[in-house]
Amino acid sequence: KYKLDNRKSNVDMFNLTGPSRTNRPDNTAFTQQRLPAWQPILSAGIVIPGFTLIGLAFIGVGVALFVTSQKITDLEIDYTGVAATSPCFKCTSFAAENCMCQMEFTLTTLFEGPVFFYYGLTSYYQNFRTYGVSKDGYQLSGDTYYFNNPQDSCAPYQYDSNNNPIVPCGSIANSMFSDTFQLYQVVNGMKKQVPLDGKGIAWWTDYNIKYSNPALVNGSFANAFSGTVKPVNWSKPVYELDPTDQANNGFLNQNFLVWMRQAALPKFQKLYGRIAEGDYAQGLPAGNYTLLINYSYPVISFGGTKKVVLSNVSWMGGKNQFLGIAYLVIGSLCIVMAMVMLIIYAKYKFTDDDEDM
Amino acid sequence: KQQVRSYKYSPLTFLPLNLYEQFQRAANFFFLLIVVMQVCGSVSCSNLTAQTHFMCTTVCLCVCVCVCRGAVFVVCVSVCVVTVCMRVCVCADLLLLCSTEPHSLCFIETFRKQIIKLLPLLFPPTLSLSLPLLVSISCSFFSSAGVVWCEEPNGQLYSFQGKLHWKGQCHLLDSEHMLLRGTILRNTDTAYGLAIYTGSDTKILRNCGRLKVKKTQVERFLNKIVLSLLMVALLLAVGSGLFEHLISPRIEVLSGISANFPAAYRGFLTFWGYIILLSPAMPMSLYITFELIHIVHCLLIGWDLEMYWGKRNSPAQARATSLNEELGQVGHLLSDKTGTLTQNHLLFRQCCVAGHIYGIWNRFSCGGLLFSDQRLTNCLRERRCPESREFFTALALCHTVMSEWKDGLPRYQAASPDEEALVSAARELGWVFLSRTRDSLTLSELGFTHCYRLLALLDFTSKRRRMSVLVRNPEGELKLYCKGADIVILERLRKDSPHQESTEQALEVFAQRCLRTLCVAGRSVSEAQWTEWSHALSQAAMATTYRETLLEELYEHMEKDLMMLGVTAIEDRLQEGVPETICSLRRAGVKVWVLTGDKTETAVNVGYACKLMDPDTCLLQGEELRIRLHFSMCLQTELIKTPEAGARFVSLSNQCQSVLCCRVTPGQKAEVVQLVRKYSSSITMAIGDGANDVNMIKTAHIGVGLCGVEGSQAVQNADFALAQFSFLRRLLLVHGRWSYRRICSFLHYFLYKTTSFALVHIWYSLYNGFSAQPMYESWFIALYTIMYTSLPVKCLGFFEQDMSSESSLRWPEVYLAGQRHELLNPLSLGVALLYSIYTSIILFFLPMGVFQDSDLDYQTLAITVQTSAVFSVTVEIILQTKFWTKYNFAAVAFCLALYFLSTVILHSPRLFLAFPKDYIFFGTCVISLIDTEKA
Repeated sequence: KYKLDNRKSNVDMFNLTGPSRTNRPDNTAFTQQRLPAWQPILSAGIVIPGFTLIGLAFIGVGVALFVTSQKITDLEIDYTGVAATSPCFKCTSFAAENCMCQMEFTLTTLFEGPVFFYYGLTSYYQNFRTYGVSKDGYQLSGDTYYFNNPQDSCAPYQYDSNNNPIVPCGSIANSMFSDTFQLYQVVNGMKKQVPLDGKGIAWWTDYNIKYSNPALVNGSFANAFSGTVKPVNWSKPVYELDPTDQANNGFLNQNFLVWMRQAALPKFQKLYGRIAEGDYAQGLPAGNYTLLINYSYPVISFGGTKKVVLSNVSWMGGKNQFLGIAYLVIGSLCIVMAMVMLIIYAKYKFTDDDEDM
Repeated sequence: KQQVRSYKYSPLTFLPLNLYEQFQRAANFFFLLIVVMQVCGSVSCSNLTAQTHFMCTTVCLCVCVCVCRGAVFVVCVSVCVVTVCMRVCVCADLLLLCSTEPHSLCFIETFRKQIIKLLPLLFPPTLSLSLPLLVSISCSFFSSAGVVWCEEPNGQLYSFQGKLHWKGQCHLLDSEHMLLRGTILRNTDTAYGLAIYTGSDTKILRNCGRLKVKKTQVERFLNKIVLSLLMVALLLAVGSGLFEHLISPRIEVLSGISANFPAAYRGFLTFWGYIILLSPAMPMSLYITFELIHIVHCLLIGWDLEMYWGKRNSPAQARATSLNEELGQVGHLLSDKTGTLTQNHLLFRQCCVAGHIYGIWNRFSCGGLLFSDQRLTNCLRERRCPESREFFTALALCHTVMSEWKDGLPRYQAASPDEEALVSAARELGWVFLSRTRDSLTLSELGFTHCYRLLALLDFTSKRRRMSVLVRNPEGELKLYCKGADIVILERLRKDSPHQESTEQALEVFAQRCLRTLCVAGRSVSEAQWTEWSHALSQAAMATTYRETLLEELYEHMEKDLMMLGVTAIEDRLQEGVPETICSLRRAGVKVWVLTGDKTETAVNVGYACKLMDPDTCLLQGEELRIRLHFSMCLQTELIKTPEAGARFVSLSNQCQSVLCCRVTPGQKAEVVQLVRKYSSSITMAIGDGANDVNMIKTAHIGVGLCGVEGSQAVQNADFALAQFSFLRRLLLVHGRWSYRRICSFLHYFLYKTTSFALVHIWYSLYNGFSAQPMYESWFIALYTIMYTSLPVKCLGFFEQDMSSESSLRWPEVYLAGQRHELLNPLSLGVALLYSIYTSIILFFLPMGVFQDSDLDYQTLAITVQTSAVFSVTVEIILQTKFWTKYNFAAVAFCLALYFLSTVILHSPRLFLAFPKDYIFFGTCVISLIDTEKA
């Protein structure tokens, strides 16, 4: 309370010497709290039709989403090989190296194109925080200084046991998905390869801005990586990821880019390629197919599963019934609420002011 | 060299002391933790409580003002003689030595804003002393080795005991010789004083007591939320430890990262990670915005034209910034009567001399002296009635008024308005008090100037309730005139005093007319008696122990066997609008208690006049109360001290329409407030205007001071200052109610928006291995509360009105909601929390359902969740806002636009290329919001 005493007396001292001024407050709408204002009242006349309209709109959107999603076909092939009957069971033992296995499936109708080819993992915590930061952004943008001096965020995948810098360093790169797939249609007992287009599956910004390869050294791409070693788990260095296409190597390898983009949830899919070329531009015709898998990525140890998903898309994206159902549920809830309120309103005849949501 | 410190903090101690004070709030400690952990600290903002901060600056300011204004302000540390010049705030408690005025008098303005005079010990002979000479005189004082004995530093502003041994003589020192720190020198050029108490020993600083950090209901609740957040973080950390222990060893890619550390340690690290993630649920901006809204509400109170009193040029003033919402919950209003309900502009209305009542009760007259009674004038003119002459002589002599001559007319300056009214009345009727010196009073009695020698002044205290003067009149007789409250005087009258019965009747008549009465009595004193008494007096004055009691006894001895001279009746009119205000406050459910020092009859009549009581109310007084309570107590004299009686009294009074406490002393007023605070859960408000109400004002939850006639001490101790009692109606029913509603909606909404935003992390942790992975982009977390959602809720806190001010005044019943804590209680806050948990579930699980088992990445999920968070809290504020001013529209539109704009900017390639580490989300918004082709 003392502070007030002093402040007051100081003010008084100034007042005594200065010319006496008026303390009359300003008469403005703001100071007098008389600002013009719109005061909406949520009366029954607004709320009940409002709820009905919102409900109808949601139901409309929900129906559209649901129907669209129903039209999308997708096919999931689990090739983890947990069960002994699975063709890939043989590859699950640690001894198996360069193990290939085949999964067969049959399409009874045309699988409309363009068909997207995904691989999917479950119980795989790619969104784990310490996992997510385990990379070196400078290195991946092609800065050769960081090739020899990877950042600490990559630890323990920063240097190998001989203290050679790892490129690309970090846990994400090290754990890159290494299974490869080939899809064949069985036509008259003959295997006909279905081309999987792995181009343009990464984000545009990742491909063009975020990641870039180092400049060539002495005309050789591999020389740019001299003095560095490949990640521990990799079988090939980063500049030899795609032996078929020289441009699809280094940090700009499409599968690498897709893998580097962290998944949102432990159950996720990543795009592997598109089937939109040649005979299969219209989709996969009915028939028997064989999926040849180069099985090398271990998931059994942590109880995960691996699968391949074939799916086509619509305007709303991939197959997803959840969104449509959610819209439908919320829309119908709104309608039900509107009905309940209408009944209450009709029964008790509230005045407009009392009806409040 | 001796240094005196009179501020709370020094540069060295400021940090530790202030930090200690700040961290008494759990939240502040929490914030420190957050700031330390968030190394970048992009949102760190200091959160000094206004109170302690102000204290430190204003005390410093006072010192600065002294220095720059006082041209001759010299602190001579070695001798401790301090020079004070006119209009300068005294900087320490000084023993006044001398001044440049004649007789070396010194006038100061006290804390009560009264001008009083002080008596210095040394008397410089002439006026025209040069300053150096004065200094040398003061110094000579010390060269002859004087010793001052004084009591231990204490906080009693109005008493001082000490002795001065100088040149073989012993002088007694009392508060009349003291220039206290904080008082202001007036009408005196320069004064010299010896510093007695300095720095924190000064009486004013001792008196101000410790600043209590007041914990409101809201703060306690917020502390609980902070604690529960810590608990949630702890749970998640345990989850993290379990995950690291059970699951992650099997996942080679995860266990490889931090294989060197045990699971428990990783869980410990995650705990801090979750504290950071959950901290936005209790952001600092909550406290800052809360304070800001309080300040704006205080400004709005000050800006209200309808609470501005043009006559005194005083707007309403909110002096405490944290009590606004409590204004909307007041359950008990405890009011002083004089000066609060009444104007304290006193008019001499009637008098009773020698059993005759003079004066006409004229209800419609106004201004000036409204007393004209031909009978009395005739009586005085013709000098028929010696008692009436004596009566007016007494009125002109028995007072402590100072006279100032202006334009040939005497102007009176009095400590209390009663005295001024009485002296002025005597002047109008021919007994003009002309001037006063230290030992004489000059009167003009019907044109003849007489000089009375003042022998002794037996001063007024609230305990004695009377004052007397002992004078030697021009004829050489010794006379004692005494003036005081009726019961005190009546019991000291001579046995055979005439007109006793008629006087008592007159007292009753006056009381019924709501007039304040004072009795005037007198007696002759023989020379022998005087010699004996004065000798005893000087003896008593020398006593160092029990001096007060001794003096009391001596005074008692002199003031006996009095002759009744007459009774004065002074009218104190009710302020404008008091009955209406009390009436509507009662309709609003506020229990109005009036505490007054007046007689029961006067108080009851005032109670009727101001509609405190209806004519058909049944009055419970003394005896009846006693019966009701089955307890022996008398409300008029002593207060209920035992707890059972107190509780019973308060519960009984809660059933009463209103309570009127008569004959209460200032201390008892505070005790009544304490009683109500203790035994009822409602918010108490005390309103008063004078120094005697300060206790009460300080004790109540909310103290309101009226800037009245009796100085501004009440205002200085109050939380709110008003000019008129009737403004209280607007303060409570309009501002209080609005503030309460606004702050309640603000708190609910703010907690909703922050918790629903932060709790999403809990749900996400179930899907990311309890790894403290943030659900949002880091920029979004930083900007969410301070930019994307801050303005609409501020507008809600500033402008929201559920009813216009006119309607609030017309239907005071709506005020009841605040008293019942309908808007802000644990239940409503719990519901708000449940609602925000529900929102956070929706915010996370709907997108999760969509993203589950899809090829959409983490950054897209983050953008989706944060956009829906911004949308849902914006929709919520749109639903909450019932009063849409242009600012509300602008705020909502601006914040949404800002969100999209800043997201686009933060995701732009330019920023990414410049700072690749800080803007890792670049490109995400364009791809996830616009480019649906890939999704």
